[in-house]
Amino acid sequence: MNARLGSWRDAPDYAVLLAYANGDEEAARVLSLRLVPRVLAQATRMLADQAEAEDVAQEAMMKLWEIAAEWRQGEAQVSTWLYRVVANLCTDRLRKRRGVSLDQIAEPTDPQMSATAQMQETSRLTALANALAQLPDRQAQAVSLRHLEGLTNPEIAQIMDISVRSVESLTARGKKALADILAARKAELGYEDDKI
Amino acid sequence: MKMTKSEDQMLDDLFALGRGTAPVPSDDLMARILHDATMARAVEPAPKFSFWAGFRDMVGGWPAVGGLAMAGVTGVWFGIAPPTSVASFASDLIGTSVTVDLFDDTSSFFAEASIDG
Repeated sequence: MNARLGSWRDAPDYAVLLAYANGDEEAARVLSLRLVPRVLAQATRMLADQAEAEDVAQEAMMKLWEIAAEWRQGEAQVSTWLYRVVANLCTDRLRKRRGVSLDQIAEPTDPQMSATAQMQETSRLTALANALAQLPDRQAQAVSLRHLEGLTNPEIAQIMDISVRSVESLTARGKKALADILAARKAELGYEDDKI
Repeated sequence: MKMTKSEDQMLDDLFALGRGTAPVPSDDLMARILHDATMARAVEPAPKFSFWAGFRDMVGGWPAVGGLAMAGVTGVWFGIAPPTSVASFASDLIGTSVTVDLFDDTSSFFAEASIDG
């Protein structure tokens, strides 16, 4: 199988996707190894919930398998398309959190960290995700793609199918709104002025 | 109202914390995704019924449909403006041409009725 995976190494995503659509059994494995880690990371960063992030990753990949036969080369990159799908799926889930207490904290997951440090990191990430949930969908998507995925404004414009100027506006307003939401919890999250 | 420096730093720290999150997909998740891939390929969309596709297949495909269309257009055109060769062929075949005036008697009937009245 390794030799087979090696033969796909330089192939672009759309070529592997086409091979999958044409019945190549290894193509799905190659695409999954290539794409799922990034998809899962994006979902985890936006949701701060491992189980939900895994569901989103599975759902996003399912959409990819379903569209494979109709994929039109040159319209969009597979990675760009997946960023959009994951962002949409995550904002769908974040929307359901609106009205849920911002204090709700997910279970700590990293066994290497001390319990206190782990608790603080988890509470910070959960606070960020729950604050994102309070933003309008487009602001939440733009902010997460810019500041959590580290993408450039032109890349985000392509993913969201809007102008670069709109991306700048959405991220600026989104970041300001996040600061307003989280300001009240600064001390609670360990961000007192002299401790940052 | 602008963000204060400490709020800005807090957000930057939270974003950096988020960017540092890089979960490794579990074997279970990968297995579920690969299972989905197999199932998605196994389910092919049912063909949609199309009257024209059925008709086309019945007569023998696009070449036959093209031939039928050409024959129909030619027939209509001959009806509107028959070529002289067709007209002479018809008279040769039938032997003579007969003209029937359907309204001739009726016209005289109306004329007589008018006089009698």
